[in-house]
Parts: sequence; structure tokens; C-alpha cells
Amino acid sequence: MKESLEGLGEEVRGRIRSARSEAELQQIRVEYLGRKGRLTLLLRGLRDVPPGDRPQLGERLNRLRQDIEEQIELELKRQKEREKERILREERIDITLPGSRLERGHPHPIALVMDEIIDIFWGMGFEVARGPDVEDDYHNFEALNFPKDHPARDMQDTLFVSDGLLLRTHTSPVQIRVMETRQPPLQVIAPGAVYRHDDDVTHSPMFHQVEGFMVDRHISFAHLKGVLTHFLRQIFSADTGVRFRPSFFPFTEPSAEVDIQCVLCGGRGATGDDKPCRVCKASGWLEILGAGMIDPEVFRYVGYDPEAVSGFAFGMGVERIAMLKFGIQDIRLFFQNDMRFLRQFR
Amino acid sequence: MRVSFNWLKEFVETDRSPTELAERLTMAGMEVESVEAIESDGAPDWALDVAVPPNRGDCLSVIGLAREIAAITGAKTRRELPKGGRKTARARSSVQVEIVEPALCPRYSALIVRDLSVEPPPAWMRRRLETSGIRSINNIVDVTNLVMLETGQPLHAFDWDTLTAKRIVVRTARARQPFTTLDGVTRELEGEDLLICDGERPIALAGVMGGSETEVSERTRHVLLESAHFDPLSVRRTAKRLGLHSEASYRFERFVDPEGTVRALERAAALLSEVAGGKAEPGVADCRPGRRPPQVITLRDSRLESLAGAKIEREKTERLLRALGLKIVGRSKGALKLIAPSYRNDLTREADLIEEVIRLAGYGEIPAELPLARHQAKRDRRLEWERQVRSLLLGKGLTQAVNLVFTSATMNRKFPGLWRGTPAPVAVLNPLSQEHAELRLSLLAPLAANLRAHVDQRAAGVSLFEIGKSFSRRCDEKPEERLCLSGLCYGEKLIRGLRRAEPPWSFLDVKGVVEEILELLRLEQEITWSEDQIDSFLHPGKAASLVRGGRKLGLVGEIHPEMAEDLQLPRFFVFELDFEAMLEYARRDFTVHSLPRFPAVERDVALVVKDTFRADQIVQWVRANRQPLIEDVRVFDEYRGAQVGEGMKSLAYKISYRADNRTLTDAEVNEVHQRLVQSLIENFAVRVRQ
Repeated sequence: MKESLEGLGEEVRGRIRSARSEAELQQIRVEYLGRKGRLTLLLRGLRDVPPGDRPQLGERLNRLRQDIEEQIELELKRQKEREKERILREERIDITLPGSRLERGHPHPIALVMDEIIDIFWGMGFEVARGPDVEDDYHNFEALNFPKDHPARDMQDTLFVSDGLLLRTHTSPVQIRVMETRQPPLQVIAPGAVYRHDDDVTHSPMFHQVEGFMVDRHISFAHLKGVLTHFLRQIFSADTGVRFRPSFFPFTEPSAEVDIQCVLCGGRGATGDDKPCRVCKASGWLEILGAGMIDPEVFRYVGYDPEAVSGFAFGMGVERIAMLKFGIQDIRLFFQNDMRFLRQFR
Repeated sequence: MRVSFNWLKEFVETDRSPTELAERLTMAGMEVESVEAIESDGAPDWALDVAVPPNRGDCLSVIGLAREIAAITGAKTRRELPKGGRKTARARSSVQVEIVEPALCPRYSALIVRDLSVEPPPAWMRRRLETSGIRSINNIVDVTNLVMLETGQPLHAFDWDTLTAKRIVVRTARARQPFTTLDGVTRELEGEDLLICDGERPIALAGVMGGSETEVSERTRHVLLESAHFDPLSVRRTAKRLGLHSEASYRFERFVDPEGTVRALERAAALLSEVAGGKAEPGVADCRPGRRPPQVITLRDSRLESLAGAKIEREKTERLLRALGLKIVGRSKGALKLIAPSYRNDLTREADLIEEVIRLAGYGEIPAELPLARHQAKRDRRLEWERQVRSLLLGKGLTQAVNLVFTSATMNRKFPGLWRGTPAPVAVLNPLSQEHAELRLSLLAPLAANLRAHVDQRAAGVSLFEIGKSFSRRCDEKPEERLCLSGLCYGEKLIRGLRRAEPPWSFLDVKGVVEEILELLRLEQEITWSEDQIDSFLHPGKAASLVRGGRKLGLVGEIHPEMAEDLQLPRFFVFELDFEAMLEYARRDFTVHSLPRFPAVERDVALVVKDTFRADQIVQWVRANRQPLIEDVRVFDEYRGAQVGEGMKSLAYKISYRADNRTLTDAEVNEVHQRLVQSLIENFAVRVRQ
């Protein structure tokens, strides 16, 4: 009996181990532990065992029964785990395949740079103003202190639409339009398209400018330097070298040309292989902004008292900044709208 | 202006190298654009190309630049030219000068030089002229040009023997009077042109060019040298109208020192005697009807400090301004009184002097400071909307284009834009080309051109949008400008990843994009889609107008097949919106509805209708005759085919029912739904598809 019990235990364990499915395990349970199961029958047969042996044999049978139960449960759990793992294994996919998507459109580089410029000035308290692209001579030239028949007008080759009406050659007329209708304090930027009679690798008949100006009591040249230096270090990088040098514009005095250290050679004037830098033409500096203190004549045109207020104005070419930021060499690329070009912007 | 470095050094003492000097000049507002190594008379030399600002006519000469270099660097000028001849001016000259227009010619000085021999110039003279970009002619003409380069005073030499009246008269021309300049061209003059005449006969266009009849030739023996001061604007008007720009007119336009006329004559006389053996008459004819008294300019210390934003010591201010040749004529506690030198006509106001002080002190000396802003910047709604719409469209797969606003007359006729009435294109008077002859009436013209380029590259799909202005003329007034938002969709959508079946762009896709824009602007309820007012460039059966209160604010549609053929393009879809008007009506503020407390129940119904039936009719009718419990209705499917028969289609609608005080029972919903279906059948003569 003792031997046969051990043999039975071995047999059951062997079958549990080799069971392939949950059904098979349930089958084993019925076969040994069910109402007519072999172990159940043995337990029932204890009645026929001499009473002295009963407790010991009963205990062994019960232990065996418990053992089988546990073994089956354990094996069931293992099988469930294996099944889960199998399903996960089957569901596995190739994550190196490309994601499916509709290709997003691409923003235009001029819009990107324009946004950056506007946001930097917005942060300094400047608001946006706009004006017409078709301007009159008065706002585009005269009120900006470009007298009729003055050589200063040669600086800008103009496209005309009628006698006295032209495509604005700069965004500066917005300055006049804002000052005509509002009173200081003013801090305004005017982004927009401007036009010149020009067409080559570095000149387009249409391009974009952002004009800006600030008028209040006691605005000084030091403030002009402060605002523009901050702007340039934001739009380029925090360690960009900036210099201001005298220049001439009819509507500002003093006038300044603002240069930054070359974005390619870092101001060395030569590239790594000691060749002259092509971006800054070996000078180490790049012209980036025109600026100055608003000329008292301009204040007189708009009816401000130049003794009471002062201000500065500046203007920059958006394409020029974009060309430097992105390393674009031909300005015409901006207006061809070739997807191969535009795709590079996000 | 191109100028020789060695020549400059004859007038100013500097031990700076050419590049150092160029750098210093650039930083003081005289930008040197290039420094080129050359050779003069066997010695190394450099040609400096200086961009002289238009208000600095005084620097258009070697002496002028030397003077500026001395002021900027603190160097000494090496020598002055012989002073204006007080002695000689008193002697009589063989020529008389009469100025009829003193405003246009405040000073005219003339000197006769006799017994010259016209020859090639000496080599050094020729080289100096050529370095400065002036062609050598002969020793006489070359002397006049050399003196102009050196002093800035343009001179003209007349062949004295060709003058008959021997009397110079400065007057304006008669209208349409012909005159032959020494380039051999005969030009028609206007009453505003100033003439130099020999008695009655014109012999030169004042300050612009001499006449051919009195030109110096090989036979010339005596010359009359002219050295005058002309009104800059008068010279500029004449030169510009005739398209006749000379070295002389360039300088006169930018102001020539009225005090320098006689000095330049004497310098020329000395050179002529040296290189052509000439003898000058002792007397200079110097007619000067217009002499302006010197102007006293006040410079306040306080103004200088507040405009500069930094304190500049009085002593330094005085030193800098004196270096520029300004005379201090008065000093008070807070101000200086100064007189500018005669060659600086650009210095008339306090602001001009402040600029000079800061310029010479160096812009680098002024600290950079951020101002305290009192201004309160307003939000810019248009910019905010533009950015939102832009990112919406980018997300929909459309790429942003920025096109030139110019187009051709042909393209403007094809795409007339959203203008009311007959569109009137704005023509450019001086266009760069015929392709750029007009301003665009519609953004679709350049977008179609963009498609052309991509089709040529065999692109399978193109989807672009642009936000920009279009232009139209309004009964001869200032042209009207309108901000438009337009788009073009063609062919396949750009899919990344594994190939999936994605249908190409369709009308409904493009309409969907526009609907999303309207939703963003909260205009979807205000704008109706209409089949009226369809432009002829659109497919008459696949186009819609967007209308608000009777006004057309946009269009969506497929291009007309004939137009596509005309443009040699495949068919494509477009939309154009009057963005400016839409932003006017756009609503930013809204309130949300609270959440419904009870669930909605949905029922579908499919109706078989004629093919020409418009699906929206039913939606509109249900909304207009809204029965209790009906929450909303929408169309969700359209089917054509054998099951519904020829000439018919089936439209499937989803209707949602909801009560705000209870959960609806099936029976309740069925009853309302049945009633609705029945009324649709009766009203629209349709049948229900089983």
C-alpha cells in the first residue's frame, strides 16, 4: 500500500508535468480527485483498513491529495502565463516600419522668421501696425524727409503704379501713418512686403521688412542700442558681437548701420581652411539693420514737438535674416515656392 | 568714390595702413567698400572705394576726404591749396559774366588761359584719372578733371576762339529748345533747364555737360575755364530728366563749396601752365549775386546728453566740432554757438551737430540701455488669427507659399479674384517684365503658376496655401488692397509611411478644409454655401460660393476643364477667401453649454431621391421646422447604384433625439421619428430606402 501510494504520487506528478492544456489538467483532476477518482476511492477505502493504520494512512492520503491539488493549480497558472506570453508574442509587430501619416504642410521661412522677430519685439512691449503696400509719395518719401529731387531718393529704385502712387520701397511709411493718428508713448513694429525695381541673386522686386520705432520723452541713442542689441542677441545667439556705425538715412539723425559678427566665420573673416569667408566677404561683419534717432523734421511732418519727444526707428530685411539663419544663398528661392525647398522648414 | 591712397597722403599725415584707414573711415560713417592694391608710378598704391553718403558732397574729392580723415583720426592735414586770389580777382578779365538766374547760379567764376598746346597728358596725370575711373582725353580736359577730383569743384573748359560774343550769360532754356551736348546727342530742353550762353547762343547745360560746338579740340589755343556753383536741385532735375549723369552733375547735385570756385581755377591755371604751357590772364571774372550769410547754430549740452543717452564733456564736444572746421562763435553756460564751414551745407541744425559729435566720439562710446516702457502694447487679433489658421492648414497637409504680388495681364484675366463688379487690375508703370506687369487680382494666379512648376517636376500631389494681399483699382482712386487666404490642392495627398489606399484630393476634401477654417473663426453658422455667383474659371457643377448676408466672401471648387487645358495643367481644386472680411466677423468669445443630464437616442433614415436633389435641403428643413425632442440632424452617406436605380441616389441621415428632463423610451423616440420621416416623405416627395 505504502509503495503503491508513492507510485501513484509519482505517476500523477509526471502527468501534470506533461499536461499540454488546461483541459488535460482538469481531466487529471477528475481522474484522481473526482468523485470516482482514484485517490477518492482510496480515501473511501480507509474504512476497510485496520483502525490502527487509519490515522497514518489517512494523513498520507490527504497530504497526497493536497499535493496534487497544488500541483494542478500551479501548473494551471503556469499555463495561463505561457498562453498570455504566446499571445503577446504572436501580436508582436515590426516597430521599425515607418509611422503612417498624412504629411504635414510646411511653413514658409519668411513667416517663421517674421514670427520670431515679432515675438522678440512683442516681449519688449512693441505692438504690430500695418499700412498699405500701394503708397503715396508723401508717406513713402516726403514726410520721411526725402525731398523731391533729392539724391537720397536714388537709394531706392521705385516701382510706380501711377503719378504719385507707388509700391512702398520700405515699411517706414507706417511710421508716419501711426504717428499721424496717435500720440506718444509709442512702441510699434510694422512688418510687411516692400518693393524695388531690382531682380538678381541678392535682390528681389518684392521682399519683406520689419520697421520699428519708439517715441516717448527722453528716448536716447543709448536706448536704440539697448533694444537692438537685445533683439540681435535673441534672434541670433546670446554671444553675437554687435557694432553700431554711422550711416545716413534722410529720416533719422544720427543714423546707424548695425552689424553683427559673421554667422559663418564668427567674425574671423576667414573659414576653417583660412580661405576668405564668402558670407561676410572676409570683413568679419554683416550689415543687418538700419537705424537712427527720428529726425526732428519727421516729427514736424506729423505734428509732434521735437523738443518734447524723441525717438528711434529701425528697419531690417526679413529675407536677409532668413538667408543668414538658414544659409540660403539665392533670394529668389523664397518666392518660387518649390516644395523641395519648402519641405526643409517645419 | 574711388580714390588713390597715395594721393590722399599728399594731403593728410597718417601712418595707418590702407586697411586700417578703411576700417576707421567705415566706423565713422564713410564706408569703404573695398581696398584694392594697385601701383602708381612704380610705387605700391591702393584704390579705396568709399561710399560717400548723399548728404556729404564735401567728401567727393581727395581734399574733402583728407579733411574728413584728419577730423576722424586727429591727424594733421599736410598742405592747403593756394588761397583764393584776392590779388588776381581785382584785375580785369577779357570775359564778362552775367547771371540772369541768381537762385540757380549763385556764383560763376571764369578764367582765360592762353597759348596752350593740346597734347596727351603726362603719365602720372593719366594714371590718377584712371584710378578714379575717368578716361583721359587730352592734357586740357584732364587738368579740369584732375582738379575736380582733387578739390571737388567741377570745371569746364570752353575753346575761347569758338566763342563769338565773349560774354557769358547764365539763364534758363526756352521750352523745347534743342541743344547738342559734347557726346554728340541733340536733346530737347525745358524751361527749367539752366544754360550757359555765349551771348545768345547756348554753349553748356549748366553743371551737367558742355556743348559740342565749343568743346576743346586739337586746334584749341586758348580756353575759358568755368568754375561755378549751381543749385543742386536744378542740376538734378535736368540730369535726371535727360538721363544725363556726369561726374560734374553728380557733385553739383550733392553740393559744391561756393567758396572754392576761384581756388579751383587757380589750381587749374597752375597745372595748365605745367602740362600745356598755358598762361593765365591775371584777372578772374567772378560774378556772385547770391551770397548766403553764415548761419549760427546753437548746441545745448542738455540736448546732446539726452539724445545721446550719455554725458559728453563740453571740452570734448568743442574739440570734435573744431576738428570738422566748425567755428565757435559763442559760449554760454549750457550751450555753444557755432558756424559750419562753407563746404558743409548739411550742418544747419542742432540735430546735425549732435550727430557729428556722437559720430566722431564713436557709437561704441554710447552705452546700450533698455528703455523703461510706458507704452502698453495691444494684442494683435489679426496676427493671432493668422497664426492659428496657418497652423490649422499646415496640419491639414497644406504648405505655405509666399508669392510675388506681380502677375501678367493674361493671368489676371483668368483669375479675377473676389472683387465686386468688373475687376480693374492695377498696372505697374515701370514693370520688370511682362510677367510682372500687373498686381494680382487673385492669389490663385501665382498659385497656379506654382502648380505649373511642380507638374513640370512630375510631382504626384501639390497642396499649397497663401495668405497675402490682392489688389484692384477703384475708379481711379487709390487701389484697394484685400487680404486673402487662398489654396490649391492637386492630385495625391502626401502620405508618409506604408502605402495605404488614400483617395486623391476631392471637392469634399477641400470643402472640409474650408469648413475647418470657418469653424475656427466661429463663422460656420453665418456663412452659407451657394451654387450662385460661380466664376467662369470654375467647373460649373463642382464649385460653391461662400456667402454672408448676400455678400460673397469666398469660393471653393474644381478648376474648369477648359481653363485647366488652357493653362496646360491637370485638373485641380482651389479655394479663395476674403480673409480680411472674415476676420472682421470672426468671433473669439463664446460660452459653453452645460452637459446634458439625459442620454440622446439616434435613429437613421435613408431616403431615395432624384440625383439632382440637394442633401442640405433636408437638414435645413428639419432645423427650420424643429419638432420637440429633435436635437440635431446630419447627412452621413450618399449612395448611387443599381439598388436605387438610374437617375436616383440614396441619402442617409442620422437624427438625434433628446429630452432635457428624462431618458427617452424607445417607443417615444419611434413615434417622433416616424412622424418626422412621414413629413419628409410628404414634403420632399421622396421614399424611404428599405
